[in-house]
Amino acid sequence: MGKTILVVDDSASVRQVVGLALRGAGYDVIEGVDGVDALSKLDGRKVHLIISDVNMPRMDGITFVKETKKLAAYKFTPIIMLTTESADGKKAEGQAAGAKAWVVKPFQPAQMLAAVSKLILP
Amino acid sequence: MSFEDEMRSAMATFVVEARELLQDMETGLLGLENDTDPEEAIGAIFRAAHTIKGSSGLFGLDHLVRFTHVLESVLDRLRNDEIAVSPELVGALLPCCDHLGRLMSAVEEGRLDEDPALAAEGVALHARLEPYLTDAAAPAPADDAPAPADTTTADAADTAAGQGAMHLSLRFGVDCLRSGMDPLSFIRYLSTLGEIRDVRVLDGLFPDAAAFDPESSYLDFEVTLETTADVASVSDVFEFVREDSEITVLAAGSPAADYATLVTGSGELAGAVAEVLVTSGALTPRALEEALAQAGSAVEVTGTAPAAPAAAAPAPDTQTPAAAAPAAVAGVPAQSRTGGTAAAQPPATAAKTVSAAAKTPAAKTAAPAGGQAAAGAAREARSIRVDALRLDRLIDVVGELVIAGAGAGLHATTNGDETLLASISELMRLVEEVRDSALQLRMVPIGTTFSRFQRVVRDVSADLGKDIALVISGGETEVDKALVEQIGDPLMHLVRNSMDHGIESAEVRAERGKPARGTLRLNAYHDSGSIVIEVTDDGGGIDPEKVLAKAVERGLVEAGASLSEQDIYQLIFEAGFSTAAQVSDLSGRGVGMDVVKRNVTALRGMIEVESKVGVGCTMRIRLPLTLAIIDGFLVGVGSASYVVPLDRVIECVELPPNSDLRDCMDLRGEVLPFIRLRSLFGIDGERPRRENVVVVEYAGMKVGLVVDALVGEFQTVIKPLGMLFGHVNGIGGATILGNGDVALIIDVSMLVRHYGERQAERDLVVAR
Repeated sequence: MGKTILVVDDSASVRQVVGLALRGAGYDVIEGVDGVDALSKLDGRKVHLIISDVNMPRMDGITFVKETKKLAAYKFTPIIMLTTESADGKKAEGQAAGAKAWVVKPFQPAQMLAAVSKLILP
Repeated sequence: MSFEDEMRSAMATFVVEARELLQDMETGLLGLENDTDPEEAIGAIFRAAHTIKGSSGLFGLDHLVRFTHVLESVLDRLRNDEIAVSPELVGALLPCCDHLGRLMSAVEEGRLDEDPALAAEGVALHARLEPYLTDAAAPAPADDAPAPADTTTADAADTAAGQGAMHLSLRFGVDCLRSGMDPLSFIRYLSTLGEIRDVRVLDGLFPDAAAFDPESSYLDFEVTLETTADVASVSDVFEFVREDSEITVLAAGSPAADYATLVTGSGELAGAVAEVLVTSGALTPRALEEALAQAGSAVEVTGTAPAAPAAAAPAPDTQTPAAAAPAAVAGVPAQSRTGGTAAAQPPATAAKTVSAAAKTPAAKTAAPAGGQAAAGAAREARSIRVDALRLDRLIDVVGELVIAGAGAGLHATTNGDETLLASISELMRLVEEVRDSALQLRMVPIGTTFSRFQRVVRDVSADLGKDIALVISGGETEVDKALVEQIGDPLMHLVRNSMDHGIESAEVRAERGKPARGTLRLNAYHDSGSIVIEVTDDGGGIDPEKVLAKAVERGLVEAGASLSEQDIYQLIFEAGFSTAAQVSDLSGRGVGMDVVKRNVTALRGMIEVESKVGVGCTMRIRLPLTLAIIDGFLVGVGSASYVVPLDRVIECVELPPNSDLRDCMDLRGEVLPFIRLRSLFGIDGERPRRENVVVVEYAGMKVGLVVDALVGEFQTVIKPLGMLFGHVNGIGGATILGNGDVALIIDVSMLVRHYGERQAERDLVVAR
């Protein structure tokens, strides 16, 4: 059984490529299209890592991280934020909210895998 | 699926997604100027650029990333109110959307590297955006500016790498577990960079059971790593925890002073650290001892100023209180010589916990992005994308189901089995529901097609030097997807034509007392089984006399022919009415009005023109709701069956006796011309004693169709006629009856229009 990673991004192609890279590395991947959708996936199942975009409709990444931290079952789940170099403020906000790890967009799948494997075992 | 296939599929997703985002971006940009509260729109536009850039990076499309980056920077400044919305800005951004569209097309065609021509275009577009970027901020991407600490240590490491083992001192923040950062995971990751020779766990900060918090991290680690990687890449492993932790990476052969600083900086763990350093062979006890003595004095001299050579450790690492340092320095050498531990050391300060807590920024309240709830995105969450081909297949099968159901119904009727009839009728009710739902799947609001014209009107009015506003209504009207795709081109031509020839120049408008700004309206609505799309302008209208004169000149009609106004308007759709010489380069893009008409007719629709000279003109396209299934009315002529679209049927009456030589009848005081299908289609055989007339209406004109038998309503699945029969007038398709026979579907509009010609033919047949 691989570890489960929740990938949250409003872009279907990002989810597809990230999912492809992670599955290739032996992880199980579930997806969320925005914060609201992603929260609904945090329904008690074991999630070992969350990767979330910041800019999303309905519920943005920062709010999503804060909400996740309120859930007892997921408060220790590491979260990787997808930030942009132009948004240092967002990165600080994300870290304050509890997402300590980040990957700067645009990234190559390999960079994402490196960040993930720093945090959890495949 | 192989990896390559999956990537290709992801790339296809990307292209589709990017196109949608570009459409959103364009719509957003066009709305910006009129928007009273543009914040939401700007957010959406920014997000579109941001997403395209992010995805492009994933696919390694660097030229797209570069181009979008500048766009994103400008939009970011717009979002932060650093620059204001202006027509010039919108004018500079719109071509960027187009350019991105072209770049996407190139990607779609498999050209993943930058096209030189497109690159030049991109540079020109960037130049237009230049004024909206700050002088310095824009061209400096962040990766040019890594943390300065890393650069200095990297230099040191380059000289030292490979000469021995690297030493890492890891003081994880007490809260790291709470953030999901597992120290062991990082240490394990280290092994991907080299070979871990030794890991020492320092538990000196482990509290008493009473004070122990199971969610906190108390353990510290000293790691000896054999690696060829440089210090910067090794310390990058810890970038996620660096902020709340104290991570020191010392390359093999680092100056002894650096080790001394590490030891002195370790507070109450200093003794243990010194021991590890010596035992791991990083340096000799004497070297450390000497360095510590020196460092001790250095600390005393410089006070609390951060010690410069503190390797990759962030500045706060050196915040050891000045008072504690000499004590530690004094105590350590003795202990390391005697092999003692640091356990006896009095706790100077709870350095680690204090620094970790102090550095945790007070939780800032992030502005919730409630306003970002764009309707479109919300829709995405609830909808799924389906291949149109699968949908067509479903509709096709549902069509077959309808036919099969009708067949079963026929048999049940023939057998007279009451219970079977009852269940068949229930079945048919459900099948009809399935049919309606299936057709509903293909219905899309026409608004998306309409909003494309915002851009067209903007660009074309700029080209023509006319001020024209586009007013859209009825965008929520749902139309079959196939129709939407095919109506775009004719609509485009009508819009261009109205702007070009319809709406007058500002001077003429002023003369006629009209507002300087011309108005073009796009409207859509449902009207008794049809969808109606209107293109209305408040221009000069069509002058019937001029049209007629020109038609005569072109030899389209005989001079002196008397035509109704509507007939005259229809002349503008005749091939050969307009010639290249008269068509401006705008409308004259190879599509004449005759092509518009042909396209609309091919969709079983028609165009009406309503015009008033000097006031304006409305082009009204009338189309069937769907192209797949219709409710039909089945009639019989001899042994043949025909289907008349039910929404055209007004009523059925009996043909009055003694009508043989007539071509019209009296319908309650009204003259009703009729067409004999028997003669029209040349059907042999005895005429029945009594014939019936199906009264049909199209565009306000009533005509009777004379048939032998009225069979009744019939669910008709339209099977298009083959290429060979494509030009047969009066037949819109075929269908299969329940008993397997083929029935032709009557195209009422064609029949009504060619009714005059048919009449002549009929006369011939009758005369024979």
